Amino acid sequence: MSSILKKFLMALTGLALVGFLIAHLGGNLYLFLGRDHFDGYAKKLEEMGPLLILAEIVLAGLFLTHLFMALKLTGENQTARGAQGYADNSKNQSTPASRWMWITGLFVMMFLVVHIKMFKFGEREKPITAKGEEIIKAFNGEEAAKQFARESGEHGSLYGLVQKEFKRPAVVGFYVVLMLVLGAHLSHGIASAFQSLGVLRPGWLQCLKPWCVALAWLIALGFALLPVCTFFGIGIN
Amino acid sequence: MNFTLNVWRQKNANDQGRFETYQAKNISPEASFLEMLDVVNNELEAEGKEPIAFDHDCREGICGACGMMISGRAHGPRAATTTCQLYMRNFQDGETLTLEPWRAKAFPLVRDLVVDRSAFDRIIQAGGFISVNTGNAADANALPVPKDNAELAMDAAACIGCGACVAACKNASAMLFVSAKVSHLALLPQGDAERVRRTLNMVKTMDEAGFGNCSNTGACEAECPKSISISNIARLNREYARAKLLS
Ligand code: HEM
Ligand code: FES
Repeated sequence: MSSILKKFLMALTGLALVGFLIAHLGGNLYLFLGRDHFDGYAKKLEEMGPLLILAEIVLAGLFLTHLFMALKLTGENQTARGAQGYADNSKNQSTPASRWMWITGLFVMMFLVVHIKMFKFGEREKPITAKGEEIIKAFNGEEAAKQFARESGEHGSLYGLVQKEFKRPAVVGFYVVLMLVLGAHLSHGIASAFQSLGVLRPGWLQCLKPWCVALAWLIALGFALLPVCTFFGIGIN
Repeated sequence: MNFTLNVWRQKNANDQGRFETYQAKNISPEASFLEMLDVVNNELEAEGKEPIAFDHDCREGICGACGMMISGRAHGPRAATTTCQLYMRNFQDGETLTLEPWRAKAFPLVRDLVVDRSAFDRIIQAGGFISVNTGNAADANALPVPKDNAELAMDAAACIGCGACVAACKNASAMLFVSAKVSHLALLPQGDAERVRRTLNMVKTMDEAGFGNCSNTGACEAECPKSISISNIARLNREYARAKLLS
């Protein structure tokens, strides 16, 4: 596969993943509307059944293609310099974000593993039904009764799980730092993808680039806002 | 002016290579960088030592032979300037300068600061020409060329093939060079006939030579002595997609 075809794949998968991030962030903003809205949104997604599974397979395919191409390109790029590198390498005229794409990318990958384990396979807290409330009352609010009431509920609440995780300082710190890393990846990636796809006419890159960078940080800071607001109880309680 | 030079010395491709330190003394601020090296070499020869090998030809910024890394910058710190057009007044008196050859797997080292850039020639041979029989010189304006295209083609044609783009790129990618050559011809009616074949063959030869891929970092554009824009790389990507669809 030619170098340019590889970059087309990189750009197309990258932009598709950006599209996913925007949709995902949009969905997550339901957190600000409260438990019922957020859990309702999650339930709707889950009720899509096979469609959701298909979407997940497509997403996984995009990630794996992006990851595979990233490793291949990075490997080729590092051997192209040759055995002897420069002694003075400190004045490369490019942004750190553009030079560290594979490192920021690998951190994003690592984040994804943690993130999916935490929220897709994490144990959801069961909401307490009206009947549960009666039981708790009957037992004068004893802890064991609360526990029983929770466990006998029907649906687990994703909202509850998010609340639980985002009240832990280590988790909040981890999310904020990794979203900054994602912001760095995208601050080069989005504009780079348009350039790779050749969609820019002379002069357009200069015009479009600030908007691409702004979108990158909007996405990254948007995601970072969720754990921060949950932790401090700002808009999400 | 006086300078301390840290120069990469290497007898041939098989030699290990190492930095050697030299003093450049009593250099005129009006001397070009190559003239400064001439002075150092005269002294080395007088002492019976091997002069520092460096490539040069026109010494007026048009042949592209004189490229070298000067303290981490291709053709030195000045924008849009070849090494031969760089003057010592651009440096501080007493400064230490590190001189290295272009580093790229596709540009094997010949000696000291001289590398073999024939990979660029092979790319040109793969399609960087027009083989239609053009006959006698045509009347001016017999072949209409839109003004915008003429300007863009001329900008791309300014490329002197010096290799600074490859040297400056963290991936040693030749995309700026190839894109300048492809753009120059694709924008003109004379180049249109072989547009598809040219793009595919030049990219194929570029990849086979062992250059890296483009990461769109823009380091090439910043170091290019002819200020070739990376919008040419976007055009090459477009031309490549078009060529793939049409071939
Ligand atoms: C949410 C996840 C991700 C998004 C939205 C994303 C987005 C992008 C975009 C838009 C590009 C620009 C493509 C181009 O230069 O043409 C890019 C490049 C890149 N991505 Fe990602 N990416 C993600 C995850 C990853 C992961 C997990 C890796 C793994 C290592 C990675 C590694 C890279 C590398 C190395 C490049 C630069 C390729 C080059 O230098 O040519 N990315 N990414
Ligand atoms: S010697 Fe010809 S460009 Fe410098």
